[in-house]
Amino acid sequence: MNRRGRTIALYALAGVLLSVWAFPVLWALLTSFKTERDVLAYPPVVVFTPTLANYREVLFGASSILPNLWSSLIVTGATTVLSMLIATPAAYALARLRYPGKRASGFYVLATQMLPPVGLIIPYYLALQKVGALDSYGGMILIYLTFSLPFAMWLMVSYFEDVPFEMEEAALLDRAGRWRAFWHVVLPQVRGGLAVTTIFVFLNAWNEFLFAVVLGGNRVRPVTVAMFNFISVEQTQWARLAAAAMVAMAPVILIGLFAQRHIVKGLTVGAVKGGGRR
Amino acid sequence: MSDLEHSRRRNALKHAAALGALAVAGPLALPRAHAQAPADDLAPYRAAKINWRQAEGTEISVAVIPASYFDNLLSLLPQFEALTGIKVRAEKVPPGQIRQKAMLDLSSKTATYATHAADPMYYPLYVANNWVEPLDKYLNDATLTDRAWFAYDDIHKAWRDADSIDGKPYGIPYDGEVTVQVYRKDLYDAKGLKPADTYDQLLANAKALNDPANRVHALALRGFAGAGQNMYIYPSLLRGFGGEWFAKGSKELVVNSPEAVLALDWYVSALTQFAPPAVRNWNWPDIADAFSQGTLACYIDAHSSAAVITNPEKSKVVGKVAYARWPRGPNGKRVTSIWNWGFPINAALPDKAKRATWLFISWAAAAETQARTSWKFAGPAKRSGLNRVSSWKSGEFAQAMSGAGDNFIPAALQSLEQDTDVEWRPRVPQWPAIGEAMATSIQAALVGQKKSKEALDEAQARIAQVMKS
Amino acid sequence: MNLEQQERRFALALVGPALLLLLLITTAPLVYLLWTSLQRLDLGMPWVKGFAGLGNYAKMDGDPRFWNSLALTGIYTASTVVLQVLVGLSLALLVLRIPKGQGVLRIAAILPIVLAPVVVGLFWRTLVLSPEFGLVDLVTRSLGLGSHNWLGDPQLALISVIAIHTWQWTPFAFLVLLATLATLPPDLYEAARLDRASAWKRFIYITLPLIRPAIVMVVILRTMTALSAFAAIFAATGGGPGSATEILNLYAYRTSFTELNLGYGAALATVLLAITLAVSWLLFRRRTARTA
Repeated sequence: MNRRGRTIALYALAGVLLSVWAFPVLWALLTSFKTERDVLAYPPVVVFTPTLANYREVLFGASSILPNLWSSLIVTGATTVLSMLIATPAAYALARLRYPGKRASGFYVLATQMLPPVGLIIPYYLALQKVGALDSYGGMILIYLTFSLPFAMWLMVSYFEDVPFEMEEAALLDRAGRWRAFWHVVLPQVRGGLAVTTIFVFLNAWNEFLFAVVLGGNRVRPVTVAMFNFISVEQTQWARLAAAAMVAMAPVILIGLFAQRHIVKGLTVGAVKGGGRR
Repeated sequence: MSDLEHSRRRNALKHAAALGALAVAGPLALPRAHAQAPADDLAPYRAAKINWRQAEGTEISVAVIPASYFDNLLSLLPQFEALTGIKVRAEKVPPGQIRQKAMLDLSSKTATYATHAADPMYYPLYVANNWVEPLDKYLNDATLTDRAWFAYDDIHKAWRDADSIDGKPYGIPYDGEVTVQVYRKDLYDAKGLKPADTYDQLLANAKALNDPANRVHALALRGFAGAGQNMYIYPSLLRGFGGEWFAKGSKELVVNSPEAVLALDWYVSALTQFAPPAVRNWNWPDIADAFSQGTLACYIDAHSSAAVITNPEKSKVVGKVAYARWPRGPNGKRVTSIWNWGFPINAALPDKAKRATWLFISWAAAAETQARTSWKFAGPAKRSGLNRVSSWKSGEFAQAMSGAGDNFIPAALQSLEQDTDVEWRPRVPQWPAIGEAMATSIQAALVGQKKSKEALDEAQARIAQVMKS
Repeated sequence: MNLEQQERRFALALVGPALLLLLLITTAPLVYLLWTSLQRLDLGMPWVKGFAGLGNYAKMDGDPRFWNSLALTGIYTASTVVLQVLVGLSLALLVLRIPKGQGVLRIAAILPIVLAPVVVGLFWRTLVLSPEFGLVDLVTRSLGLGSHNWLGDPQLALISVIAIHTWQWTPFAFLVLLATLATLPPDLYEAARLDRASAWKRFIYITLPLIRPAIVMVVILRTMTALSAFAAIFAATGGGPGSATEILNLYAYRTSFTELNLGYGAALATVLLAITLAVSWLLFRRRTARTA
């Protein structure tokens, strides 16, 4: 098979696989432009008269989710930024440096992520209530950190471990100092990993539901809770729900688009071959 | 100067100021002026001989579920604030979480929610824990309630009883529903059928109309596992077969009696023969959706589903709908549901907040508010689950519900007045666990995972354990 | 100060804030959870109170629903994690070989994960898996495979929720492994290619060992997610039909919040925590053993 043929075949395969993969989401996208009648039509309609009414209602109507987008953005943004700031240096230490209690602390961080949310809701609720932090941004972000921080740390650890040890050593021998070695030499190596981790920390926090609904209220009301405005007891407004889901997805896609440029082939020009592990 | 004159004067002054500001600030002032236009007449409320403003300045938080009947109420909150000076913050909690969130608040006495939309089956639990206030205290207090004006006895007796324990009210019903037969009169007429009067007739009708090849199924009942889902329909069947929840003369719960097995068998076979296969996961919005798409000939569920199936935006069967009461079971009884959403008062509140909450509750349950959220409501959704007999019998209600279909009000009203039974489900504090266990077992039988007797025996074992510990 | 001490101070400075923060916010809830599991606390029966010791745990032994949930948890976790790694890795390898348009493919591949789990569960329940009305049914019927009650039949329901979970979370494995694969220096393969080693051999002997740590990391994290999966499965089946999809996490939730048996629910949650810890410890050791 010649080169051209193979490339086309690959594209075709990828195209088919990924459209099947993304189909439910694309279907939801289609649904968001339908009238309620068309949504439940059988056979499912692909050709129909599109309407923007759902988006108008979701964005500007009585059940507008714009304030909730803002709420989500504050909680998720702060959580992501704080997590990455605290977790990245910690992950580096865990991956590369030697210090007493390293293995234990590593496992402890991993273990905290395993606390089942089911068992944590009540103590969190009571604790936040005691300090008056229920339905507050500070409280919510703090609780979100409990699952975002370990998650970020553990993702970054594996990326740090992939950095060739010799690179660091070279920098250290240059009398550059540990911090500069970290900041200027090691960190750029893990740009791809940083991007991926940021996306996922953001995503995890953005889609969180249980903590959001129990520990939030009127002030802190992320989009995941607000979507239930369209799932009322009497009926589910599918088209509007789909529109709301699309709107809720938008910020994450934007962040993904921005970050994925950094998931590129490694900058291995001049890098020492082999890689190393401590 | 009376209250009314005071407010009129204030309004006039505000108007003058607004006009003046208009001259200066131009379009910016316009929205403000509109907000103060005296479009809301609070006179019907002021007719009550109580001081609405006695808890002025208080702030209370109310939890409700997303539903049009609450949305309508919430849109009227500015009126309440104008009337009483009490600020109400409403929070819409998803229906799957509202009980938990309310209980978390009640049990930890955090007094976050002054009141919430309460599931009537939870009152035994609330009362056993002393989480809510007995409301007779408030009803009998002349400074808080004008009995003649409020007319507590005008509220449907079935719902009042559902919200009371041992004769004492703990919640005031706001909105409710009954389950009725809903059927396609055009399909029935075409085959010369009448709405079923007995269970057997229901099955016979279903047999005549069942046409899966043309995507028309004849019957649907809720299958989704849940205390408020399949355990909402099954109790009616159980009572229709003459079953009881408690063993004769004792407090022991028995769920696997011979009548219970019969009822469950009937449920399983009816759905297996005549319902769409997906019904085992369906809750009533799904049934209503299917009906409005024309794929169901008949279902038994809440009367308020009328709003969905007669909504021209969604439904293809507008104008073809009719209603009837539940058919009689083998023991000759028609048994419907007695669901209502009522408002209790959180016992952990300070006194002033409790009074403010009572004012809110009596405002919401007042005949005038019921009207304003129904036929007087400016939006498209007119409530059909009003709490007062007088409202149901009024001409305006009849007119508002005229698009619902044939025999809507008589079927629902008669069901409400004659076919209800307060002990329709066991009113014990352990209800949440019991409801869950039953729901799981019923669904296991519906999907054919277990035989009816086996499923109920399992539920019995589980419930016995719950009651014992 | 010698080099070693300097390194230690630096390390503690970097790792300190994270550890401190976590210690602060997770210790008290954990203690509360353990304490509750030792109590008889049932909101439905407030007169039942008191220390139960290990009574709640003993109860589990005779509770068939518990054992059912354990088995389901095992099946669910194992299948979703294995599937995620296999599919994720394949997708990553595929996308890497495509010269142009990787960006678009990457975006398409992560779409499932961007959709809120609650919405995913609902959509799959009604629009995709619903017999007669749903998409999957439409496909199987046009392929002549007939109509099935995907979420109503106990066996099919388990398969369906596994499919939903895999569908939603594979993009994670995909992106992480993609990023790892992208950092592998291409000249590694030169020698092998010169040796005329086949693509498959190149993959097994060169690529796989190099990305093994990343795979293990993905497995650990995905296992933890699978063990605590909640929103999507709850929205799709609620743990049903019956208890066919009631994994331990869901059982603990239903016990605590629907049946209001907080003591027993806390015990169940603690068991779940213990299992998660044990599994992670095993995987963790495999990881560090290799990199020692």
